[in-house]
Amino acid sequence: MSDILPPLPGYFPTELIDPFEIFVGPVFETGARGARRFAFKVGERHANRSGFLHGGMLATLADMTLGQAVWDATDNAPSVTLGMQMQFLKPVRLHDIIEVTPQLMRRTRALVFMRGEFMVAGEIAFAATSTWKLLGQN
Amino acid sequence: MVASSPILPADAQDVAVAAFTRYVGPLYRLADAAGGAIRRFAFVTAEKHMNAAGTVHGGMLMTLADVAMGQTARHAAGGKTCSTVSLNCDFVGPGRLGDLIEARVRVTRASRTMIFLSGEIVAGERVLLVATGLWKIIADS
Repeated sequence: MSDILPPLPGYFPTELIDPFEIFVGPVFETGARGARRFAFKVGERHANRSGFLHGGMLATLADMTLGQAVWDATDNAPSVTLGMQMQFLKPVRLHDIIEVTPQLMRRTRALVFMRGEFMVAGEIAFAATSTWKLLGQN
Repeated sequence: MVASSPILPADAQDVAVAAFTRYVGPLYRLADAAGGAIRRFAFVTAEKHMNAAGTVHGGMLMTLADVAMGQTARHAAGGKTCSTVSLNCDFVGPGRLGDLIEARVRVTRASRTMIFLSGEIVAGERVLLVATGLWKIIADS
């Protein structure tokens, strides 16, 4: 369970509140609110049948980290994911460290547009864009 | 393994073979629909699948989509290993604790190297998620 410790110097555990995220995590972060960089280390429990990181965990990681950035951009306003588009560029291996700095593309009164490039050893391994709805706004 | 949950069909087969799907599962394959044109997969929601708002986490729904579409791609590729190239999901409605959540997947096109798929995830009559995705056939296995 080496993946439960911060994988890189200067990172500390992200505070997670969703039971599913706590179950599949942890995720670590560094940097200031609104410009946070997240890191995740692949553990044995995250593997697919070929021994690489499971696509469902990558999708979950995208939802977790882009969602954290949505909170930063909205002062923690309640929101839901409307859609997520994902490209799987390279296989991610056991013990690899994935890093992402989510980018806010646009915020309107009701919507937030985010994207993230998920890097492994300096190369993009996975990319996601997501659209979020702020609850109670129209 | 045959399912034991009271809301699962008796013929549900546990298909969670990878470490991650066993960890978040069990996940089941249900009997095909539409004469085999629709392959069906399911799980029963538990506390571990939820978000803080009391609905099923989007990551778990996307995991079901990835597993259901990936296994359908592998079947369409004659059992060859396939890897996810792209996956697009729209979240239509919330899943609830205790729901039997079911993915229904169709093959849109199978070429020599690529499988195009579409799917929806439902809880009873309610649609929770719609998805399209592209899988690459990578090897014999």
